[in-house]
Amino acid sequence: MTESTPSPLAVEFCGLRFDTPIVLLSGCVGFGEEYTRIKGFSNRDAGAVCLKGTTLDPRLGNPPHRVCETPAGMLNAIGLQNPGVDTVVGEILPQLDFGETRFIANVSGSTLEEYHEVTRRFDDSPIDAIEINISCPNVKEGGVAFGNDPAMSARVVEACRRATEKPLITKLSPNQTDIAANARGCIEAGSDAFSVINTLMGMAIDIESRSPLIGNNQGGLSGPAIKPVALLKVHQVYQVCRDHGIPIIGQGGITTAEDALEFLIAGASAVGVGTALFYDPLICRKINTGILDYLERHGLATVEQVTGSLRLNAPSKPRCGCY
Amino acid sequence: MTPSHRDTLFLEEAVITLHDAFEGDQYVLHLKAPECARRARPGSFVHLQCDPLLPMRRPISIMRAQREQGIIELLYKVVGHGTSLLTQRKAGERLSLIGPIGHPFTLHAERPRPLLIGGGVGMPPMIFLADHLRGQKGVQPLVLLGSEAPFPFQARPSQILLPTLPAEAIACMPLLDDWDIPSRLVSQQGYPGCYEGYVTDLARLWLDALDGDTLAGVEIFACGPHPMLEAVARLAADFNLPCQVSLEEFMACGVGGCAGCAVEVLTDAGPAMKRVCVDGPVFDANRVFF
Ligand SMILES: Cc1cc2nc3c(=O)[nH]c(=O)nc-3n(C[C@H](O)[C@H](O)[C@H](O)COP(=O)(O)OP(=O)(O)OC[C@H]3O[C@@H](n4cnc5c(N)ncnc54)[C@H](O)[C@@H]3O)c2cc1C
Ligand SMILES: Cc1cc2nc3c(=O)[nH]c(=O)nc-3n(C[C@H](O)[C@H](O)[C@H](O)COP(=O)(O)O)c2cc1C
Ligand code: FES
Repeated sequence: MTESTPSPLAVEFCGLRFDTPIVLLSGCVGFGEEYTRIKGFSNRDAGAVCLKGTTLDPRLGNPPHRVCETPAGMLNAIGLQNPGVDTVVGEILPQLDFGETRFIANVSGSTLEEYHEVTRRFDDSPIDAIEINISCPNVKEGGVAFGNDPAMSARVVEACRRATEKPLITKLSPNQTDIAANARGCIEAGSDAFSVINTLMGMAIDIESRSPLIGNNQGGLSGPAIKPVALLKVHQVYQVCRDHGIPIIGQGGITTAEDALEFLIAGASAVGVGTALFYDPLICRKINTGILDYLERHGLATVEQVTGSLRLNAPSKPRCGCY
Repeated sequence: MTPSHRDTLFLEEAVITLHDAFEGDQYVLHLKAPECARRARPGSFVHLQCDPLLPMRRPISIMRAQREQGIIELLYKVVGHGTSLLTQRKAGERLSLIGPIGHPFTLHAERPRPLLIGGGVGMPPMIFLADHLRGQKGVQPLVLLGSEAPFPFQARPSQILLPTLPAEAIACMPLLDDWDIPSRLVSQQGYPGCYEGYVTDLARLWLDALDGDTLAGVEIFACGPHPMLEAVARLAADFNLPCQVSLEEFMACGVGGCAGCAVEVLTDAGPAMKRVCVDGPVFDANRVFF
């Protein structure tokens, strides 16, 4: 697709054109090229691809096991394994085909200075946008420790904002009390967009050994199991974003076009696909086709018309005293 | 990664052509998956959807590839939810797979005496490797298979004599005998004709009896449970032999995207986390056990 083709699937996201509303999620597709091993897979089927969480220095990540299946989902505790921002910018980005899709960096750190510095180095690169991961549940410092504290979240956003003019997407954690309040603070600190949500913290135990299955003891829960939670969080954050024209990448358990549409209706401008790829690497095409069918069925010219089209049920008086 | 990696794996809706149950909750599964069969190499595995109800795929090694017929053969043991749902799938049904995945075993011309050691459901890659070595001129492999569950084939006394091994250890895998590849079976369960002990004990007896020149031609290839691989690595180190092992680790994507299957491996630059799915599953033993 070229800039001039009007496509019902294309969305405008922080001034960037996404050819489709699908974003491949951070940590699920390595540094952008891994899935192209599979014949039939193309980054062109996604509007954007988020790269693995990147820190200033290389990180080895957590010991095994790093992943395990859980009911309707999985736990992961990768521990932000990455080669460090200089290798990503110097060696990996030059190999990516920016003609195929938009590439988004995913920035992590243990200190404000680290967030600032990693963002600064990505600012000086061809990357299209920068996602701030203040919600990684699998590292001891930074990550979700920042993301669950609204004041701290805003300071991280502010530190990154000082380092770049590129679109800044703040990835919010579901592991917090008031996600909307946090979003408000991040907007004031300069966030251009949000990713909602990162994984929920969880655990799985081997009853024979009585040890957690995940080497890190706890991990982030993703996949269909978290979809209802994610959807509500998108709805809540959208209430804050709507008036500011701030877009949301809705994510958490999307496996079908119907799931994607639910997120769009709740207020997302784009939809993230992560865990679902592990089961079906060619899922993007199916989701795109399904969304197109829906648009046609509802006589809509573009997917952008679906965003935030939620019709809430009218509040009714409680019929009895308790529930 | 370079673009040369592109389009090397295939997503296939494979048709089950055979699904046989063996004692010890073991199953042999034949799948019509032509792209995968054509490109599979010893050490390759497939990432299989055991059941549409499960959110994750399961990695299973390829035991043989019948290229002309487009069929791959797998051997699996029921250990949990996924493999147990897999047993319910019948001939004629379809299973989605991604394959052939992984960095295969590498053979070296200067090592014409490959010693193949397989334990339990680690046998399949060894059988694939033996199939590959069959008929290769000047190459004299030996295959040692260990199992604490009944072997998933009808064992019989070998027609190929190995004078340096104990005479009572005579049971072989008939398929390998038919290929003129000597094999011996090992178990602690007292199965007839099997050597009683660990595979590494029998391997040590064989290595001990080799003269220096022959020993210098040996390279060890192994797949099996982690403690067995550790023992094999020690054996290789004792005899100063190169050794390649095929590892297992929990996987999510199976194609290099999630880093979920990473294990610690020693590289020239020091310890690193390598992905079992695409950097492995085959690694040099002395880089894994150090
Ligand atoms: C490269 C590779 C090749 C393999 N080849 C074979 C083979 O040829 N035959 C065979 O029987 N088995 C093989 N395995 C092991 C097989 O993948 C596991 O037995 C299987 O995943 C267990 O799934 P489950 O749902 O039945 O067990 P559960 O214990 O219920 O599984 C729970 C979770 O843990 C994972 N898991 C549990 N054990 C293992 C394991 N040993 N390796 C990887 N993941 C595991 C599962 O994938 C699942 O996500 C191989 C593993 C790898 C990594
Ligand atoms: C294996 C794995 C690794 C992940 N790594 C990262 C990461 O490095 N940075 C990040 O912001 N999110 C990471 N995530 C979270 C995903 O990007 C996504 O937000 C989450 O999984 C929910 O979407 P899903 O249910 O579609 O997977 C990871 C998720 C998984 C499953
Ligand atoms: S399983 Fe995802 S990288 Fe190996």
